[in-house]
Amino acid sequence: MGNITLGRYIPLDSPIHKMDPRAKILAMLLVLVAIFMPAGWIGYGIIFAAASLTIIIARLSFTFIWKAMKPMLFMLVFLFVINAFLLKTGDPLFTVGSFTLYSDAVFQTLYIAVRLLLMVMITTCLTATTKPLDMTLGIEDLLKPFQKIHVPAHEIAMLISIALRFIPDLIDETERIIKAQESRGVDLKEGKIMERIMAILSLIVPLFVSAFQRAEDLANAMEARGYAPGEQRTRYKVLKMEGRDYILLFGAAALLAGMVWLAYFR
Amino acid sequence: MPISFEHVGYVYSKGTPYEYQALKDVCLDIEEGKITAVIGQTGSGKSTLVQHLNALLLPESGEIHILDRVIKAGDKPKHLKALRKEVGLVFQFPEYQLFEETVLKDVAFGPKNFGASEEEAKKRAKQALKLVGLSEEYYERSPLELSGGQKRRVAIAGILAMDPSILVLDEPTAGLDPQGTEAMMKLFYELNHTYGKTVLIVTHDMEQVFRYCDRVIVMEDGGVRIHTDKDTFFSDPEACRKMNILPPVLIRMKELLKANGFEVADDIITEDALADCIARQVKKHG
Amino acid sequence: MSIIEVKDLTFSYDDTKTTIDHISFAIEEGTYTTIVGHNGSGKSTVAKLLAGLLEKKSGSIMIDGLELNLENLSKIRNRIGIVFQNPDNQFIGSTVRDDIAFGLENHCVPQPEMDGIIEVNAERVHMTKYLDHEPSRLSGGQKQRVAIAGVLAMKPKILIFDEATSMLDPSGKDEIKRVIRNIHKESSLTILSITHDIDEVADSDHVIALEKGRIAMQGTPHEVFSEVEALRKIKLDVPFSLKMQQKLAKRGVQVGKHITMEGLVRELCQSHSNM
Repeated sequence: MGNITLGRYIPLDSPIHKMDPRAKILAMLLVLVAIFMPAGWIGYGIIFAAASLTIIIARLSFTFIWKAMKPMLFMLVFLFVINAFLLKTGDPLFTVGSFTLYSDAVFQTLYIAVRLLLMVMITTCLTATTKPLDMTLGIEDLLKPFQKIHVPAHEIAMLISIALRFIPDLIDETERIIKAQESRGVDLKEGKIMERIMAILSLIVPLFVSAFQRAEDLANAMEARGYAPGEQRTRYKVLKMEGRDYILLFGAAALLAGMVWLAYFR
Repeated sequence: MPISFEHVGYVYSKGTPYEYQALKDVCLDIEEGKITAVIGQTGSGKSTLVQHLNALLLPESGEIHILDRVIKAGDKPKHLKALRKEVGLVFQFPEYQLFEETVLKDVAFGPKNFGASEEEAKKRAKQALKLVGLSEEYYERSPLELSGGQKRRVAIAGILAMDPSILVLDEPTAGLDPQGTEAMMKLFYELNHTYGKTVLIVTHDMEQVFRYCDRVIVMEDGGVRIHTDKDTFFSDPEACRKMNILPPVLIRMKELLKANGFEVADDIITEDALADCIARQVKKHG
Repeated sequence: MSIIEVKDLTFSYDDTKTTIDHISFAIEEGTYTTIVGHNGSGKSTVAKLLAGLLEKKSGSIMIDGLELNLENLSKIRNRIGIVFQNPDNQFIGSTVRDDIAFGLENHCVPQPEMDGIIEVNAERVHMTKYLDHEPSRLSGGQKQRVAIAGVLAMKPKILIFDEATSMLDPSGKDEIKRVIRNIHKESSLTILSITHDIDEVADSDHVIALEKGRIAMQGTPHEVFSEVEALRKIKLDVPFSLKMQQKLAKRGVQVGKHITMEGLVRELCQSHSNM
């Protein structure tokens, strides 16, 4: 768990951390759309500058972003190889035997790489600065208008928050079951196919049994405390938009407008 | 000594903000053929200690001698299976490790993993089920539909079927009713006395320690605070209380009697002996 | 007036076995009742039936003058708070504060009032210092205290503990028993505790002993514990003082039936010095 950085919350004290999750989610969506505008290198330069500024204000480190980016590198190399063989437009750069590399293959890959980097930067700005619970509250509020077309906004949010609450418990449980089965001679690393299958079964079945038990207990506890899905309830945590949240939204909207102008009206 | 610890240390989540030293410089010899209780408050390192006994956790510093194996800090030991067969570890709430379709298959799972033939494994499973008091009618039932106490018996049989020479149990009676607890402790006593197994029990239940165990290890803050025989340990109830351990009821009764002017000999450790002692003194005055 | 009245109640999980077999009992308002019985005797099922988490097969349950049925279910749930066995599986919020708020949200308590209610009830279980802690940083005993605060916040008239201490270590058990006793002392709450803890039983006003889904015995702890033979028959523990009293009687020393060691020793002392 320790080395996964993508999507992890980093508890720091920064203006970005304090912002309303709804503003952050909306701003992220706006900027994501902006990234997909064919605005050229100037456009990407502007988005990169804006994202970097946000990262600095959020007091996140660039190595953290780099770590989140790392798992994508393999994909990019793969993409470059495919592009090199398929894209035969632009200027020929060099030739080895019967193979010629064209400039568009390089540019196309770079384009995608830059977009990916920008997306990682922007989403990390959101996930690293927003508590999981606040994130679900934000999603719930943003989905509310869609309740009219029967999107169960509250249920979705409750589902996500309970999943988040129990993930650490389930990880502990998994570790415990692995150890218990290892004590019974299960070897998860070696063995013949049949033995491997049994080894995996010996983990999955108990994990399911305990997850169901947990779910039943939890359902009882929630019901006993008056929870009934679909019924009216009040909410303890109330989100409130402040000046800085509007500034963020305005900034994100301006960025998108700029990209649209760069892409289509210049 | 079947198991000895030399200056063993263990750290969880090393190099993260959650780093936590669970064992500190533990030196310990576990005596063969005895029932040893491992007691101490939650977080004192008991569970970490027992997970070293069958090399589920490997020491970060120091070394452990388990039967004829030596496990040193920094080693990457191979072929731990042989060791895990000899040191049977029963986890807390072991009923959660059952997964096979039938009770018999589940109990035979361990021996099969350790290389026993199908036939041999079944034979051992049947013996183990008999030991824990589950008769033939349970063989073909699904372990998942048994009662809590029965499930736990099946899980323990699953370890016994491996025929370990050392049996380690992490809070085996947690959540059982008094009667279930009693039956479970009697089983461990029999395994020790009749089958000569070395037994190690992590527990919070002082009544059971007092009645069934020979030796007591008190863990505190990741280290061994006390390692002594049971009677010595309980002869000083005040010291127990200082470690947040409530002495067994018989010991408390003796204390109360002494405080009220009765003479109670230190070697009285059964209810009948205590009743004799009281009756004698009351009648003398009568 | 009885706050809980159970008449001829039956229940079974499946058709092969009757878990609760025609039981009737009444519990007076403001009393502390313990329900004992070995595992599988049906005691947790009774708790779940009272809280409306299971549906009875026949018979009737009256809670605070209301018949427990689908129509009255939510009214009755407002009157009953229940604390379960497993500390982890009833912690719903991501912090102590959020967890106590969960029930308030369900009962549509206006948001501005919540913080006050949360703080008062956290104080009652001495968890004020931990309000912003996540469950992973709490001990089992602390989690159960949060669960208690969570149900107290909903101002129930009846508090049910379904083996709430059985998964805790000794200090956690003591912690929770102390909290329960204090709540009972300072409020008019009716308490119903399902337990194996013999000291807790001795401390209660009324004991109901279940065996195979039927009521085997009931009365004050003194009355129930006095029936040592009957208790043994239904495989229940007997307090140490009563075991000693029996052993002494066999040795020709007659003493009264005491449910505490202190009581027994006091009487022994008198006969020791007076005679």
